[in-house]
Amino acid sequence: MSILSYNGGCVLAMKGKGCVAIASDRRFGVQTSTLAMDFQRIFEMGPHLYVGLPGLATDTLTVHERLRFRLNLYELRESRKIKPQTFSAMVSNLLYERRFGPYFVEPVIAGLDPVTWEPFISAMDLIGCPNVPEDFVVAGTCAEQLFGMCEALWEPNLEPDSLFETISQALMNAFDRDAISGWGGIVHVIEKDKVTTRLLKTRMD
Amino acid sequence: MASTKVVNIPKGGFSFENCQRNNFMAKQGFPAPKAVKTGTTIAGFIFKDGVILGADTRATEGNIVADKNCFKLHYMAPNIYCAGAGTAADLEMTTLQMSSQLELHRLNTGRQVKVATATRLLKQMLFRYQGHIGAALVLGGIDSSGPHVCCIYPHGSTDSLPFVAMGSGSLAAMAFLESGWKPDMELAEAKVLMRNAICGGIFNDLMSGSHVDLCIITREKAEMIRPFEVANVKGERQGSYRYPLGCTATLSTRVIPIEIESTVVRPVAEESMDTA
Amino acid sequence: MACMMSNMSTLDALSPDWLTSEHSTGTSIMAVEFDGGVVIGADSRTSTGAYVANRVTDKLTKITNHIYCCRSGSAADTQAIADIVNYHLEFHEVQLGEAPLVKTAASVFQELCYNYRDQLTAGIICAGWDRRHGGQVFNIPLGGMCVRQPFAIGGSGSTYVFGFVDSNFKQGMNQDECVQFVLKTLALAMSRDGSSGGVVRLGIITEDGIERRTVLGNELPRFYEG
Repeated sequence: MSILSYNGGCVLAMKGKGCVAIASDRRFGVQTSTLAMDFQRIFEMGPHLYVGLPGLATDTLTVHERLRFRLNLYELRESRKIKPQTFSAMVSNLLYERRFGPYFVEPVIAGLDPVTWEPFISAMDLIGCPNVPEDFVVAGTCAEQLFGMCEALWEPNLEPDSLFETISQALMNAFDRDAISGWGGIVHVIEKDKVTTRLLKTRMD
Repeated sequence: MASTKVVNIPKGGFSFENCQRNNFMAKQGFPAPKAVKTGTTIAGFIFKDGVILGADTRATEGNIVADKNCFKLHYMAPNIYCAGAGTAADLEMTTLQMSSQLELHRLNTGRQVKVATATRLLKQMLFRYQGHIGAALVLGGIDSSGPHVCCIYPHGSTDSLPFVAMGSGSLAAMAFLESGWKPDMELAEAKVLMRNAICGGIFNDLMSGSHVDLCIITREKAEMIRPFEVANVKGERQGSYRYPLGCTATLSTRVIPIEIESTVVRPVAEESMDTA
Repeated sequence: MACMMSNMSTLDALSPDWLTSEHSTGTSIMAVEFDGGVVIGADSRTSTGAYVANRVTDKLTKITNHIYCCRSGSAADTQAIADIVNYHLEFHEVQLGEAPLVKTAASVFQELCYNYRDQLTAGIICAGWDRRHGGQVFNIPLGGMCVRQPFAIGGSGSTYVFGFVDSNFKQGMNQDECVQFVLKTLALAMSRDGSSGGVVRLGIITEDGIERRTVLGNELPRFYEG
């Protein structure tokens, strides 16, 4: 079994009209036994910037702390908020430094540009190859199911409310077909003037 | 191993701090996942006025298509571009690093960078890493000594040839080039041949797909045509699968309002960046 | 029972050997001394597994105006070594104020091949002409030994033609006889060795420098092919 699916979990992000959404499941397990149903794998890195770190849970925590450190240094040095593109490059560099001994996480980044409010999403493999598409990104143990759901449900220019429905249904229907993801879901919809965080009512089996 | 709580300013270069742990986990039966490779079709050849490079736009992670429209043609210098196949992250990082070194070289010498310089820099770097950096490149460019196309393999060997193909679809592409390439082709002919070669990979190699990207480098300029041809059009959705509002049951909702306390608008005069 | 998804890609098993294996020159190379110079020759095939990555390779690599090397083994290793030796000898030439000896070039090759013998796959024939000793051939096979020989053959194709060269070599052949000898030997080696082929590249190094010739595949001497 791959070490990336040791703890289970998945994250996806979608672009909407003037908004982005990022969602994940809440399970923390060790192989087939579920240990917690309130695990956090999406982190707030700024008012309009979120990062999801699915993969090995120990690395989810370590990479988050290392990113926070680098981000704090950046913002102290530059006295301004980071752009999502720049943050994406920062994550990419952090992972590629460990090219020959990687962290087992596949980050997903979602945010709005602090100046232009342009939506931005990106995903990376575990050694930091960025993938910046126009529609959606997925990562985690049920990536294949998520790809299928997103291909069918996503459409351009979704309003924040519709984007929430779309991303939530994509997430829930994908992880219902994955034994090691699920047990609750969390969705952040990021808009210019507010961030709405919702906990989803899902199957708990 | 350094704690994450301790101040740890990145030093640059590769870090091997996780290797011991990862080897231990591999021994426990959890091998490190194989790095993501891009099965690719890339090609390049010399034509009458310069060099043409081509690539497909599929990125794969095992048997899933990770990106349907990715960029495989990378900027190296104003007169040099390169197409990449192999480990996606290695290609991205290697080309970024080399293009910055070539720019510094250009500024230091005050001359246009030669294709041979780019080739040398890349082959020496890849040889140092003994094939562990999985970057296979087709480098193309034009300089004071004329047009050049060069293949660079992950172990650091190079071949300078009039036409080359690389990646998993290289056999299909090479079949077209071997039968269709001739010296001093016109631009229009060259575009058609390159399109055929890349489409050969797109349709006959499973790990290549989507569209055809081209890069045409002549004495005057380098032109990126993306996409040159949309070889695979996404089907129109017949109906909408959109969920009506209120379909999703939520346990709690929390809204964090973001209040903007002040906005400073500082107009900046439009100034085009000097990229010459 | 459906178990957790294995992340091993099913396509990994399908990926052909030429994607992963190292780029190498399964080769036939040769060099012969004659009075006043040397004749060097090589086939032109570079293969990766079963795929011919380059069918017009030039395995005769310049070190100085009068010294060349024939490369066999890993393409990356031999190109890197040749580049390094070229660098050293160019520097040496400037310090010396005259053209370096073939022996000098051969011992730089030998030193690199010996010191890094565990990491390198390189069989090199270093040949050339110098004012002091005339035409010379030095053979530097896999482990990093260096030996002067009146003629040398190397690469995977050479195993098929040792008998031929031993029976056909004559002391004191002139330039044209040497060229024919090299051509015949390489043609025989290329016809028997699957990883040698293409054209024959020749070089004749004398006091005047090098004269390069290319003999196309259909112009090669032909032997029993039944």
